Parts: sequence; C-alpha cells; structure tokens
Amino acid sequence: MLSYIVRRVLIGLMTLFFITCIVYALIRSMPGSPLTLELMDPSRKIDPEDIKRMEAIFGLDKPWYQAYGIWLANLVQLDMGRSLLQKQPVSWLIGQRIGPTLLLSLTSLFLAYLLSIPMGLYASVRAGKTDERVMSTLLYMLYSFPAFVAALLLQIVFAVQHDWLPLLGMYDEQHETFTFGEKVRDVFLHSIMPVTCYTYASLAYYSRFIRSNMMEVVQQDYIRTARAKGVSEVKVIVHHAFRNTLIPLVTMIGLTLPTLLSGSIILEQIFSWPGMGRLFFESITARDYPTIMGLVLVFSVLTLLGQLLADILYAVVDPRVSYS
Amino acid sequence: MSTSPPAPHIAETIPDAAPARGYWSEVWLRFRRRRLAMLALVYIIFLGLVALFAPAIAGTKPVVCKYKGEIYFPALGYFKREWENPVFYRDRFRREYPNNLQEKDPESWAIWPLVYQDPYRRVREGEWQDRPGNPSGNQGNPNEINLFGTDSYGVDVFAQMVHGTTIALLVGFVSMGIAGTIGIIVGALAGYLGGWVDIVCSRAIEVVLCVPALVLILAIIAIIEKPTIWHMMAVLGCTRWPDIARLARAEFIRLRSADFVTAARAIGVGRVRIMFRYILPNALAPVLVPITFGIAGAILIESGLSFLGFGAPPPNPSWGTLLNSGRANLQLWWLIVFPGAAIFLAVLAYNLVGEGLQEATDPRLRSAES
Repeated sequence: MLSYIVRRVLIGLMTLFFITCIVYALIRSMPGSPLTLELMDPSRKIDPEDIKRMEAIFGLDKPWYQAYGIWLANLVQLDMGRSLLQKQPVSWLIGQRIGPTLLLSLTSLFLAYLLSIPMGLYASVRAGKTDERVMSTLLYMLYSFPAFVAALLLQIVFAVQHDWLPLLGMYDEQHETFTFGEKVRDVFLHSIMPVTCYTYASLAYYSRFIRSNMMEVVQQDYIRTARAKGVSEVKVIVHHAFRNTLIPLVTMIGLTLPTLLSGSIILEQIFSWPGMGRLFFESITARDYPTIMGLVLVFSVLTLLGQLLADILYAVVDPRVSYS
Repeated sequence: MSTSPPAPHIAETIPDAAPARGYWSEVWLRFRRRRLAMLALVYIIFLGLVALFAPAIAGTKPVVCKYKGEIYFPALGYFKREWENPVFYRDRFRREYPNNLQEKDPESWAIWPLVYQDPYRRVREGEWQDRPGNPSGNQGNPNEINLFGTDSYGVDVFAQMVHGTTIALLVGFVSMGIAGTIGIIVGALAGYLGGWVDIVCSRAIEVVLCVPALVLILAIIAIIEKPTIWHMMAVLGCTRWPDIARLARAEFIRLRSADFVTAARAIGVGRVRIMFRYILPNALAPVLVPITFGIAGAILIESGLSFLGFGAPPPNPSWGTLLNSGRANLQLWWLIVFPGAAIFLAVLAYNLVGEGLQEATDPRLRSAES
C-alpha cells in the first residue's frame, strides 16, 4: 500500500509539473500583460524607466520558460509570489477567498448528501411506482437545469420582484456595525440563493446515483437470502443493501474534493460572491499571472489528491480491492 | 398438374426465421422502446429543422422574391453574408425589403418569413405594413408582435432565439466531433499499442483532466485575439476529449485480445487497419454515450461562456448572450425565462438521448432482457 501511494505521489508530481508548465505558457501568450491596464489609465503618466523596472519585477522581460523556472524555484521554497493586481501575497489572497467558497460548497455538499440518501433509498424501495417515477423524472429535469439560469430566476423572483432576499454579495453594506447574531443572520440570508443553486444539481445527481447502485445491489443473492430469512424490509434496505452501495459513494467524496474549492466560476460571478472562482475570473481578466498560477496549482493538487484519496478509500472500504 | 410453384406453401410452414439483426438495428430497437428518449430525439430533430430553416421562420429578408425579372433568395444572407445578392445592396435597400421592393419594382413579389422580425436589429415603425416599431428599453414585454418580447435595444427575442439555435446545435456537434476524434485516436493508440505509448497518452489524459475545464477554456479563449464561435468550438473540442479517450482506451484493451483481432493479425492486417476497421466499430457504441452527454455539456459551457461575456462576439445571436443581456437588467424577465428554457430543454434532450443510448448499448441489460 505504501509503495503504491509513493508511486502515485511521484507520478502526480510529474503531472503537476506538466500542468503548471502548460498553463504558464498559455497565460503568458494571452494578449496584453498586467501592465496593459495601468498603461491605459491616461491620468497616470508612467515614464519608460518605470515600465522597464515593473517588467523586471513581474518577470515580463524574460521568455516564459525562464519566468516559469523562477516561479517554480520560488514555489519549492513555498512562495507562490505576489499578486500583481492586489499587491498581496497569493497565498494570503487564496486564504482570504477560501472561506466564502467553502461556506457554499461544504454546506451544499452536506445538504446534498443529507437529502439525497433518503431520497435515493425511497426511490429504490418504491421503484416502478407512480410516485417514484414522478420524483425521478423531476430530479432528472433538475439535473439538466443549468445552474446559472436557476440563479438568475431565483434572483428575479426573490430579490427583484419580492424583496425577500439580498440580490448580491456575501455581506450587507452595514455588516461591520452588526452584532454577532445579526452578522450570522446576514451571511445566512445572503447565502440562501447561492447554496440552493449549488445544491440542487448535485442532489439530483447523487440520489440518481444511489438509486441506480441500489437497484444493482437488491438483485444480489444475499438480499434474497436476507428476505427469505424474514429480515424486515427496512433492515434489508438500510442494513444489507445500502451498506454495500457505500463503496461508490465513498469514492465519489474523493472525486468531489476539487469542486469543493474551485467553486463555480459562473455562480460566484452571478452572486458577486467573494470566493475562489471569482478570484480566478478577476485574475484572468487582469492578467494577474501569479494569482492564476496559484489557483491552478491549488485546483490541480486537489484533483490529483482527490483521485488518490478515492482509490485509497476504495481499498479501505472494500477488502476485495488491494494495490499490492 | 398445378403450375403454381410450391415455394410459398413451404415458406408458410417453416416458422418465420427472423433474419439476424445487425448490432445497430438491435440497439435502435431497444432505444425505440424508451418513450422519453424517443421524445427527446424527436425534439433534437425539431431543433435541427429550426436551425436549418431559421431564416424562413424569423427574418426581415424574403425567402424568395422576384425583383426586376429575376428570382432571388435574400434570406440565405442570414447564413452567409455573401449569399445575399449584391443587387439589393447596389439598389440601396439598406436591409429594408418590404417597402423598397414595392417602390423600386411594383411588379415584384416575395414570400416572407413566418415572423417578420430581425435577430440583429430593431424593426422600425411602418417597415412592415402598419405595424408599430419594436419597443426598446424595458418596455419590450412579450406581446403578439414580439412573441418573446424585445431586448433593451428593441431587437426581437424570438428571432434571436430561432437564429441562436444554429449556434447551440453547431457547438454541440462540432466540438464533440473534434473531442470524439481526438479521444478515440488517443484512446485507440493507448489501448491497442500499450507500453510507453499508453504511458504517454494516459499522462496526457490526466493532465487535461486535472485542470478544471473552465480554467483551461478561459485561458485558451483569452489567448485568441478575436474569438469567433468556431474558435470556441475548437477550444471546447480540445478540452473535452479525456473522458472519451479513457472509455475508448478501456474498450480497446478489452478487444485487443479478442479472437477476431488475433485472426486479423494472423492474416497480416496492418495495425492501423485493425484499430480503426476491426476494433473501432465494436467499440463505438460505448464511446457514443459520453459523446452524447458531452454535447449537452458543450451546450451548457457555450451558453455559460457567452453569459460571462467570453462567448461569440456580439452580433452573433446566442442563447447565452441573451441571458447575459438579461442579467444586466433583471426587470426584463423574458430575456432570462425564454432562453433559459431553450438551454434547459436542449440539455435535457441530449441527456435523455444519452441515457437511452447507454441503456440500449449496455450488455448487462441486454442479457437480462432476452
């Protein structure tokens, strides 16, 4: 097992090297540079020497592979560089944005699992009945419903037509003056619509996933045996069948790890939510190379870790799987 | 002695031996049994027809007209600017056909699109019989003239949506066509050849799979100076192939040691021919499933990108662009509800077809049925 993990980590490091290399080359070939924005500002006269100096600081005077080498060398020393846009260390920026994104993604993950497990079990018990068909069809439609359309519709109904929920952002303008209880309530109100949009699609996906796995398991011989022994139906479903569908469910947790942090670029943009997805969008439009690289690095490390975790968990929960 | 041949009589007595059905006709038979999937397929065909006949459904250019003794098809100009005959440009029609045709040639006649509305510009007052001009600003509620309302510039939403169908369908087909080709080739090489080719290809798959799709797409789109809808399709195709490649690789590994492949190799068939003439037809069905789901995904991503303002340049009517203009002013709910419904239905239809295909080609379900 240990040698397997070591081998996977080494391969993962190689993959990371390729990813960062490709992305660095890509973003360096985007038209415009971090300086373009500042140069376009007519109110500020920047003399050519300053531009040269700034280019040297940003590494723009070197070809991309040299600049990439410098970035990599700094990274090995655990330095992700400073954001060109916000003049702050990238790690600090990511630390700032990670909280709001996690607030959305963890809440929605929790809600999705909490609701989808009973729904999936219910659907598998009632398989083929009218109510199950209606529920499954509705869930399937929900699964195909684009989240950004849902977000806009929610905004229209709950924020524009009725003033029930705040339209944008995470905090009220007077957030600073609030007491603790009011602050919690404020963030809660702001997060209702984003969390809904985050949750519904994965809810539909998970419950369908659970149902299809259950349908496979309940056809197994040991379920028939359990029923023949006279075990109650609830116990058969929960204890005998559901426990065995946990395996794919557990591996899926590993695979959702990266989406927990990457957030949804589009949703965070619609709700002006100060999270990682929005940070990425801002840094792409501002050509903020170090921030883009930092975010891509975080996303891809998590994706690789998630895949590794899924494989390890697979071996842990299923004794038939071994990697030695 | 009877002269009639005895053959029909014999044929009647032998129990009707059904001719062995081919693999694909069997898949089609199973697919047809799923009512929802069939409904979805019909809807996709309907969308294809809408895209094909978009200029005849909504437009301001005659489908057919006779002008100064010649027959013209000005509506083709919606597909390609050059296909609109330059004679109308020379005669200063300024894109307004109804009155100009009458004025400049009283003998002329024309067959008009079903709905006289333009996806690119506002229809002005008196342009079409005595109809008032399209309302602009936030006055463009849906009414009998503008079925789905107008946007803030007074451009008809229904016309934009009809013409946007072309983009939505093209994006799905072209990008997944590219992705499917790359994916199948990479998967075939990795699965059939194995060894170091497999290692290299699998790394490539992992690298592309690891970067969040939107990150990669945004970065590539930002590189292109003037992105057109075709660039976007290419980018989508170049980033969405890993899933297909993984499935194709698994299929090729499975079939690599099949008897018919060994037989083909024994009689000296070349490697490329074995891969694409012998194995691929047998591996195609499972690979088609992620391609179908991918089309739904591509439509979602395209509308999402257009929505963010990274999509096709403005004069292109796309469902996502409409949503984007609706977001700027949430009062105009019709800019969100109608295009949103169109995206939803298209995605749903492709997902349903994909699922139908998955179940029709799944060997486990097949054995259970027969």
